Amino acid sequence: MKIVTPLSEELARFLDLNTRQIQLTTANMANIDTPGYRALGMDFEGEMQRAMNAIDSEQSLPEPEVVNEDGLIVRPDGNNVSMDREGLNLAEAQLRFKVGVTLLKGQYSDIMNAIHADAK
Amino acid sequence: MNLFGMINQSGSAMQAERMRAEVVAANMANAETTRTAAGTPYRRQHVVFAEGSGDTSFASRMGASLPGFASPVLQGSSDSDLAPGVHIAAVVQDTAPPLKRYDPGHPDADAEGYVSYPDINPLTEMVDLMGATRAYGLNASAVQAEKSMITSALEIAK
Repeated sequence: MKIVTPLSEELARFLDLNTRQIQLTTANMANIDTPGYRALGMDFEGEMQRAMNAIDSEQSLPEPEVVNEDGLIVRPDGNNVSMDREGLNLAEAQLRFKVGVTLLKGQYSDIMNAIHADAK
Repeated sequence: MNLFGMINQSGSAMQAERMRAEVVAANMANAETTRTAAGTPYRRQHVVFAEGSGDTSFASRMGASLPGFASPVLQGSSDSDLAPGVHIAAVVQDTAPPLKRYDPGHPDADAEGYVSYPDINPLTEMVDLMGATRAYGLNASAVQAEKSMITSALEIAK
């Protein structure tokens, strides 16, 4: 038996995408001194939109697309990772993850309230 | 979506930066060394960073060349499209000629009275050390962020 609320699938996908974003950010941070490395990223809003469409039409969720980030300055050793940008992305994705967890907890506590409704 | 794999990535970066800092410290310590174990003056060393885990085992090479081969049992659970961290590919010695100073009284002076010193600029080494320290701190904060995410994910179950 599967217990779902209207938002729980979308929140689960939101958490997955945030995890993916953090993976990309930490990969960039780890390679900040590697010559020739290009920063990786993903279009978070686009992927979330695709996921919501797939959930509505009952399809399987697509794997998020990883692209090379553009608009970054390339240093003489060929590396274009910016320390500050990655730090900000990390903080943002982490906070978004916490938002997702809090909302998901809210969903499950609503279900628990419904289960215990006759005890009041 | 492997949360624990990210800690390995950041850990490998911290290891690589620490090694870079150690090489810088070795350079600064030996800035005036005219006689190494081989008898020659000390040569400045520097590190070469490379993507990936530096793993030369058969399983990792197979996994890299065949996209469908990514066996979690052999390789550990790592995403096939993200480089698993960074490693130091090599520690290379500088090919620049040593600095010669005129000092005929020195025990290591050559026939013309010149002593060969390593060509190490303390400013260059200090800037390199500052870069390594900042990158180390950046990856350490990434580990903190990952830990905090795993902790908050546990909150769902509470």
